[in-house]
Amino acid sequence: MSLKPRQVDFVSTWEAIQETIRGVITLDHVPRTVWNDRFSDVYSLCVAHPEPLADRLYTETQQYLADHTTQLLQKVQADGEHNLVKNYFHVWSQYSVGSQYLHSLYLYLNQQHIRSQKMSDAEIIYGSADPSTTNQGEQMEIGELALHVWTANMIWPLGSRLVKLLLEAIELDRAGQPPTIPLEAVRGTILSFVEVQAYKKKAHLHLYIELFEDPFLNDSGEHFKRDAALLLQEKDVSMYMERVKAKIEEELFRARRFLHASSLPKVAHRCELHMVADHLQFLYSECQNMVKYEKKKDLSNMYHLLKSVPNALVVLVDTVFDHIKNQGLSAIHNLQGESIHINFVENLLTVYKKYKELIKEVFKSDQNFMGALDKACNSVINHRPNDGRSPCRSPELLAKYCDTLLKKSSKGISEAEVDEKLSESIIIFKYIDDKDVFQKFYSRSLAKRLIHQQTQSMDAEESMIDRLKQACGYEFTSKLHRMFTDMSVSTDLNNKFQAFIKQEDIDLGINFGIYVLQAGAWPLGQAVVTPFALPQQLERSVQMFETFYHNRFNGRKLTWLHHLCQAELKLSYLRKPYVVTVQTFQMAILLLFEKTDALTCKEIRETLQLNTDQFKRHAVSLVDSKLLLSDTEEIDETETTLRLNMDYSNKRTKFRITAAIQKETPHEVEQTMNSVEEDRKMYLQAAIVRIMKSRKVLKHNLLIQEVYAQSKVSFAPSVQLIKKCIESLIDKQYIERTPHSSEEYSYVA
Amino acid sequence: MADENENEKMDNENQKPEKMFTLKKWNAVAMWSWDVECDTCAICRVQVMDACLRCQAESKKDSYGKQDCVVVWGECNHSFHYCCMSLWVKQNNRCPLCQQEWSIQRMGK
Repeated sequence: MSLKPRQVDFVSTWEAIQETIRGVITLDHVPRTVWNDRFSDVYSLCVAHPEPLADRLYTETQQYLADHTTQLLQKVQADGEHNLVKNYFHVWSQYSVGSQYLHSLYLYLNQQHIRSQKMSDAEIIYGSADPSTTNQGEQMEIGELALHVWTANMIWPLGSRLVKLLLEAIELDRAGQPPTIPLEAVRGTILSFVEVQAYKKKAHLHLYIELFEDPFLNDSGEHFKRDAALLLQEKDVSMYMERVKAKIEEELFRARRFLHASSLPKVAHRCELHMVADHLQFLYSECQNMVKYEKKKDLSNMYHLLKSVPNALVVLVDTVFDHIKNQGLSAIHNLQGESIHINFVENLLTVYKKYKELIKEVFKSDQNFMGALDKACNSVINHRPNDGRSPCRSPELLAKYCDTLLKKSSKGISEAEVDEKLSESIIIFKYIDDKDVFQKFYSRSLAKRLIHQQTQSMDAEESMIDRLKQACGYEFTSKLHRMFTDMSVSTDLNNKFQAFIKQEDIDLGINFGIYVLQAGAWPLGQAVVTPFALPQQLERSVQMFETFYHNRFNGRKLTWLHHLCQAELKLSYLRKPYVVTVQTFQMAILLLFEKTDALTCKEIRETLQLNTDQFKRHAVSLVDSKLLLSDTEEIDETETTLRLNMDYSNKRTKFRITAAIQKETPHEVEQTMNSVEEDRKMYLQAAIVRIMKSRKVLKHNLLIQEVYAQSKVSFAPSVQLIKKCIESLIDKQYIERTPHSSEEYSYVA
Repeated sequence: MADENENEKMDNENQKPEKMFTLKKWNAVAMWSWDVECDTCAICRVQVMDACLRCQAESKKDSYGKQDCVVVWGECNHSFHYCCMSLWVKQNNRCPLCQQEWSIQRMGK
């Protein structure tokens, strides 16, 4: 057969085509040869000479389809209302497949004739023109044409009747009654509303939504309202939630069986709207109790239901917040005894872990609830007892907790456990507002551990400092790090010093070791250095070390911190020899008794030039340990005579006089708090100057905000304190009030 | 315990004129600081014992540990961070405190 355009007789060709169309659209048997011939007939009509007959072919085909569907309409209705859906579905199944075949038969027409007239996809999707109007006069591809004709001749006349029947069928299904229409027909009919629009590029669900989905949703809405009202009569929240949850599941299942996938969320939404959102007050009424008694199942149901309703979770979140806060506060309320710090931290951790687990399990770690947990922990940990009048002790207690773990004495727990407990303490640490206070306490206890060699493990110390650094940054731990490095530098120094003595052939007469600490890094302060006349036995060591040190380093001076030094003293005047570890001041006092058996306090003080306070503390400790005897009940710093106890005995031959190793006294706590206060002022002033230097001019409130944001990492300053610092900077002429407003400051360069 | 006592006895026999107290061991603690008249660097207003501002900012990047921000003394006996002073003299070769010609007397180490 030639592909050349030739003259074609339309009428006879169309007759043949028409016959084949009938076979195709009714899924009748069409032999391959016939199909091929018709395929070429379509071609030859399209390219016919002298006039192409494509348009005529199109019009005739349209007319044929219209006639065919009109016949089908009659047929469908013939069986009565009862069988309408079933019949519709039957003819639709046939027609929809047939029309696809037809589409293939008209391939040439579709591709060459129609597509060339069409707008491009881009024009349809992004064009401002409304395709429904511009399409009116336009020719469609045959597949689309067939569906279009179907819509016009079947769906429009039958639509509302079909929908009514469909809704009845679904209502029947809800009621659990046996179906009167085959379910397959119900689903197929519903989906036909979607399928007839398959060729549409835009809004292809439009017909489905308008014709079926909207009425269906309204109908379902009414159903849900009735259902809810029925369930509410029981007045049992936890049962109600169970039922609603099941109802939503059931409706989704039903929607999956009957509807187009796009309807699923809408169905769920309707259900939630009428069964949850409309009855929030009812649900909230049990909220308190469910949270209070931690009814996990109910809470989990509540969460699932409320989650999907905008803003409905707030009440539940708030209730959970209050609950955790109360639990937390009662866990640390009225702690007493020696181990307050341990109870404090461990109780808090228990509460934290419990609710974190609960939130994970019940609320799927929802951000809202995690936020409530954070907020609750924050307010518990920074809680100030007595309505905010007493200071918050958390930083101090936490630091003490760490100290207990890191100290040698912590017996019976393995290194791994210590490590675990320390890393958990960081959880609490992160919630502390006054991190600077914690740092002060921590550095004091670290200093004590390091100097008095009470550290359990240097590795544990270092990893703890690293954790703090991770949580708070370099600045926060720089001093702790410097303390740490001083220790290893000192070890090195000691070795070099020993080598130096050996080389110079010097005998110090004692075994000498030293820590050289860097001023500024250690929380020791210059103020604690008190006058002291060094015993002659030590002079040589001190001299030699200073010579050695000054040879090695330039421009440094050494201050001896005698109150931190320790000595081992061998006592040979008793029945057994003893080795006793004492502080330098205690040693100095004891050494005076080498030549005499009794001394008055006045004599001792004058020889050693000790101040009253230091003297008394150490004299008392020696008397308490029975190494010295006092002739008065209370030691008077001038009158009392002390004498050596020549009958002293102890079961152990090596022991330590510990009394004078200072405990953290209330005085010290206060001192720590004061130094924190001073540091804060400096920090805030520096922050204000930095901000003002970069901003030049700034409003009061904005300045306060920025200062607050900057300092939040280590503490939460009060507005009052910030104001005070601004005042003092104005006095120091770093900044000034601008002339035209008292609420604004400018930087003075 | 018994062994220990034996050892102690041996010691006693060796030392003839027995002293009542023998100092065996001394663990001393000392603090070092720069030997300066004024403990704040007049250029950066930071304590000379601490690293200067510039070094503090930079050491954030390295790992912790050594900070080699030393002190320098001029002939006028005024002292500053070495880092601060070496920037200062590029602009003005005089001591910021007394305006004398700057020359280094010694460096901290």
